[in-house]
Amino acid sequence: MSIGSPDSTVGVEEHPASAEPVRAASVAHGKSPTRIAMDRLRKDKLAMVCVGIILFFILVAVFAPLLAKLEGQTFSAFHTDLVDEFGFPTTGPNSQHWLGVEPKTGRDNFARWVYGARPSLIVAFSATLFGTAVGVVAGLLAGFLGGWTDRIISWIIDFVLSLPYLLFAIALVPIVESMRGGSFNLTPEEQASTRFYVLIFVLSFFGWAGLARIIRGEVLSLREREFVLAAKAIGVPTRQVLFKELLPNLVAPIVISASLSLPAYVTAEAGLSFLGVGLVEPVPSWGQTIAVATNWFKADPIFLWLPVLGITALVLSMALLGDAVRDAFDPKTRR
Amino acid sequence: MQWKRITAVAATVMLAAVACGSPSSNNNSGGGKVQEGTTQEKATDPTAKGPAAEIDGAKKGGTVTILSDVTPDTFDPTNIYYVDGNQIGKLFYRALTQYKLDEKTGKPVLVPDLAEDLGTKSADGLTWTFKLKQGIKYSDGSLVKAEDYAYSIKRSFAHELYDSGPTYQIQFFKDGEKYKGPYAAGGDNYSGVETPDQNTLVIHLAKKFDDLPFYAAFPLFTPIPKSKDTQKNYEQKPLATGPYMVQSYNAGTSLNLVKNPNWDPNTDPVRHQYVDGYNFKFSQDLIKAQRQVLASNGPDANALSYSNLDTSLLPEVKDQSQLVKGDGPCTITLPMDTRKIPFEVRKLVAAAYPYDAWRKVAGLNSNDSPPASTILPRAVPGFEKYELPGLNGTGKGAQDPAVAADVKAKLAALGKSNFELSQYYSIDDKISTQVFQLRKQVFEAAGFKYKGIGVAKAKIRTYTGDQNAPVNIGKTPAGWCSDWPSGTSWFPVLFKSDAIALGNSIGQLQDKTLDAEIDRVTALDPNAQLKEWGKIDKMILEKYLPAIPLYYSASDFPIGKNLGHVINDVTQGMPEFTSIYVKQP
Repeated sequence: MSIGSPDSTVGVEEHPASAEPVRAASVAHGKSPTRIAMDRLRKDKLAMVCVGIILFFILVAVFAPLLAKLEGQTFSAFHTDLVDEFGFPTTGPNSQHWLGVEPKTGRDNFARWVYGARPSLIVAFSATLFGTAVGVVAGLLAGFLGGWTDRIISWIIDFVLSLPYLLFAIALVPIVESMRGGSFNLTPEEQASTRFYVLIFVLSFFGWAGLARIIRGEVLSLREREFVLAAKAIGVPTRQVLFKELLPNLVAPIVISASLSLPAYVTAEAGLSFLGVGLVEPVPSWGQTIAVATNWFKADPIFLWLPVLGITALVLSMALLGDAVRDAFDPKTRR
Repeated sequence: MQWKRITAVAATVMLAAVACGSPSSNNNSGGGKVQEGTTQEKATDPTAKGPAAEIDGAKKGGTVTILSDVTPDTFDPTNIYYVDGNQIGKLFYRALTQYKLDEKTGKPVLVPDLAEDLGTKSADGLTWTFKLKQGIKYSDGSLVKAEDYAYSIKRSFAHELYDSGPTYQIQFFKDGEKYKGPYAAGGDNYSGVETPDQNTLVIHLAKKFDDLPFYAAFPLFTPIPKSKDTQKNYEQKPLATGPYMVQSYNAGTSLNLVKNPNWDPNTDPVRHQYVDGYNFKFSQDLIKAQRQVLASNGPDANALSYSNLDTSLLPEVKDQSQLVKGDGPCTITLPMDTRKIPFEVRKLVAAAYPYDAWRKVAGLNSNDSPPASTILPRAVPGFEKYELPGLNGTGKGAQDPAVAADVKAKLAALGKSNFELSQYYSIDDKISTQVFQLRKQVFEAAGFKYKGIGVAKAKIRTYTGDQNAPVNIGKTPAGWCSDWPSGTSWFPVLFKSDAIALGNSIGQLQDKTLDAEIDRVTALDPNAQLKEWGKIDKMILEKYLPAIPLYYSASDFPIGKNLGHVINDVTQGMPEFTSIYVKQP
């Protein structure tokens, strides 16, 4: 036997195979539940494809200006010479306009599509981030501290869940506009950005309560467990008990909730924009494009297919990834 | 359903800024074959007699189906104001006067209906006397009495009850502001209208209203017997005087008309009774209905849709004769506040305006919105075609870099570089925001500063309707539709100084010379006015330019293959229902 490198199989050879029970390759040991879940996830081919697709869209959104520049177009310039008298585009996809132009206005489809990925992703990610953070903290506090804190937080959760979310989204826009100086003093860009922030706020405001309720329930059952009682008994400060003892045990519900809310927010943004209460021009967004494009479906199918494909691919891969994450974290799942 | 939504949106956008004297519920409009550039000789014909001349090849029998996406709000004669209700109402309500469309030119001529003549006014112009035709019967066989005409006029003052009807009687008739209609206490006593005998109707005015004979064509002047008035329920079973009568009416869904046996063709110079009946079906899906009409399979061959053909159906039109085209009663403009924008700058705005691109972005096409070069639309008698250089509703404007540079240089020469133009737009309406973006891009390229104030679509008319709004272009009325085909329904209402106080001013002009000139023409005989309005029209655009004419309304609606003599009534922009026949009944 030649001498191998120090960490080669030398040690293993010294123990006869029968000395230790053989572990199945799939059974990990000495790893945290999160590591186990991640390992499982990594082996899930479908999940990895989904991650790829989501990464693709993130890259498209991040490099939207660059991509548009590469094509040589902007998302806002009108090219009315490229549509006929009735608004139908006279050119299909070509080297100048890779995916053709919009009916009526002649704005570039490709540029609008890459820029349209931005609001969807920004809104979805920031609303998820904010909603999760608030939800987790509120749920932890309510469940662990109990008493009046619990009653107040639970009441707020119930209150938020009972508010009509669509009405709220519509009503908040003029209020925020007047806080920013009234619609008379705002430029169209400022008005559009107001809509953008209001949308993020509304989605996250209505998103945290559900998660907070789940976390509170989990904490209620966890706080009577021995390790928490022990930590309390030896005088560990509340903050540390919450974030060092309890939080790691809550990773699974948090990750699952976040991964499932992402696609929900993408759809919500597109849906609200489609209905006209979400984003408005001049911000390009897929939801708005779909609202217009349904009327031009026969004449210009690519105009409708682009945003529909974008949203479908993004939401589907996010949802499948969310499912995969849940399966990975749940040891009982068998496929 | 999506189609309907966008059509509604488009219609709102196009007409949002149009203060129609007659608010039209749809933006389609019509007209026969009006020849451009010819001035009409005659606006009225008090001697026209029934029966109406037979139409070549017309046959009797058959039933016409009308598939409509819009729903007329009411068929109560007092409450009708929208064009569709008005036009359909002509089938069963006769008023004092009516319009006869010239068989060759399609131009409207005011002729008597239930009155013997077009009314005679007293020397001071405050008393009008109408001679009434005798022996007219209602659909139930009872005789029409002079009191019935007086009663329906009294009824129109109950404006709280009939709140969508026209209101000129309140403005012009004697005690119009005080009298509250026949249902109020003491409602029987109204001194504004008298019937000295069975063949005379006398109307007293508070101020001069020379257009009364035109106004008398509205269905509110149809006779209604007091004993049969069921107020708001009258429209369910109204007494008909026209060639057809109501068989059944389901508000919002359908209206079925059958022949009225008591209509006498010898008293009516306009209407015919060729078909056996009309079935109106409302609240239909626009695209589906128009597709049915175009395909003309089976019963659909006898159908028509009076909304303008949806652009998306253009490729499905196989037979051009299935499209009825013609002029409508509206002109849409871009008004500029003459108090805030100097004349020289207004001319530069007109030069820089990107007509072609704007038409595309706004979704206008030459079939239903032909480019305009005048204030009066082609359908109004007195229209005379002229084109000022650069003011014909087409052209690239400052989208052409050469024009942009030229305008920029001229602005600088005037010392007005970066002159700020401002407008309202609907932030939640895609077409409105896109139009705004286009104008901003183009006008900024031409050296202007362009500011937009985005407001909610539901509220925009409140803002743009304010004559002193803090914007300088696009205030309403941005367009106008005539209540009756006459220049008097246009120039005195829109361009005189007092129009500002009435909230009707296009361009907020305050010019004594122009006021005097308009007053001079208004005082002329209706037939003599015809030649003058064209000159005033040109003078306003040439010397004042209070607005850039953008487009006229026009008709372009589909009809079934089996329908004959479907022409457009330019006074309403609707099909002329009373002369339609079925080719193979």
